[in-house]
Amino acid sequence: MKISAYILTGIILLTIESSLLSLFPVEFFKPDIGMPFIIYTTFFLGPLPGFVTSIFISIFQEILSNAPHGSIIFTKISIFILANFLKSKLYIDSKYSFSCICGGSTIIESFLFLVLSVLSKGDTSNIMNVMFNAIPNAIFTGFVSIFIFSLLEYLNMKFLSKA
Amino acid sequence: MKNSIIIIIAVLVLAFSFFIFTNASFFVNTYSKAKGNIGEIAGPTLKLIGKPANLVGYLFDTYINLIDTKKENVELKKKLDILQLENQKISEFDKENKRLKSILKLAEQHPNKMIAARVIGEDIKNWFRCIIIDKGRDSGVTEKMPIITPKGLVGQAVEINKWHSKIMILNDTNSSVDVYVEGKNTRGILEGTGQTTLKLKYILKNDDTAIGDKLITSGKDSIYPKGLPTGIIITVNRNNSGIFADIDVMPFNNYKRLDEVLIIKKQ
Repeated sequence: MKISAYILTGIILLTIESSLLSLFPVEFFKPDIGMPFIIYTTFFLGPLPGFVTSIFISIFQEILSNAPHGSIIFTKISIFILANFLKSKLYIDSKYSFSCICGGSTIIESFLFLVLSVLSKGDTSNIMNVMFNAIPNAIFTGFVSIFIFSLLEYLNMKFLSKA
Repeated sequence: MKNSIIIIIAVLVLAFSFFIFTNASFFVNTYSKAKGNIGEIAGPTLKLIGKPANLVGYLFDTYINLIDTKKENVELKKKLDILQLENQKISEFDKENKRLKSILKLAEQHPNKMIAARVIGEDIKNWFRCIIIDKGRDSGVTEKMPIITPKGLVGQAVEINKWHSKIMILNDTNSSVDVYVEGKNTRGILEGTGQTTLKLKYILKNDDTAIGDKLITSGKDSIYPKGLPTGIIITVNRNNSGIFADIDVMPFNNYKRLDEVLIIKKQ
């Protein structure tokens, strides 16, 4: 129940993001709205919800992006595996530490994408673009994560406490 | 034990996604089908969400600018706000009317050859430059169809779903167009950089190109028809090493400002 509510919320937010981005002249700061959902479910609900969320969010992100097939699934599942291993090492005590982890994961995702593109296809055309946007994206993802964390906590308290 | 099984499955999915990425045909076909089915819901959802989102955009463009006006009288301000909003709405309608007229004019010049579409979304990653339009397979859109506006070339359709399609913009790093410099016998390849400007490549340093020259499609890449305006040369650097000049081009269309586009049907 909780996982489906989180995935649905994530998908709706991603669709709104895609729709709103076509209206506002935002080019350098595109937050990864899917990342907070993956981190939240992996850290607080366990590996299975984290894995399911990673799959659904990454497929939906690929639908709304021109990214090569499989690339976002690869990076998001890698982030999930990494988060699962670091779960016992990192402690999320507030929305701010959550925000830092989401921002950090966004930077790691950018580098994973670059490594994947360069090593498997030898594609170097997008390196500058991805590197140039990695830090602004991470900052904005971290910023947005604060609100998403609060939203998920609110959903937990208000509607999902018995689920 | 349960955790280990999930991690093993995750690693298998990771391998699966790697094979999809490297274009292993079996994996790509399976994945494309699954993605296509899920993608069917994205188009209508985007259209549905696009309507209130348009309202938010409209309010952002209009009402937000009014926040700083002095609070003289609450009632008067309210009336003034309403009148101003209505007034701006009229000018907004006027702009839309002009835009749609120019689209219609272009479409009428080539009846049965063009499909008009509305932009309903944008790529959620800024690693790529892509827009989503509200016409898909049902409207006859197929891959590699050129997308234009009355100003010039926008890009090409790259992924088609039942109700929506993804358009790769000229600015995308994967985009390249065979172009001519208008009025001159110079031909080059216009490539996206992921930024606002494009790069015109393979133009020799002794070629007669200058700032302000307009570029048109050559029609030799078998994707874009001949003669479509693409952009204007904004810098020419002949002081770099090598035999080719370093040329920056500004595309005629700003993809962040696109509302409606035309899809050229392939014959």
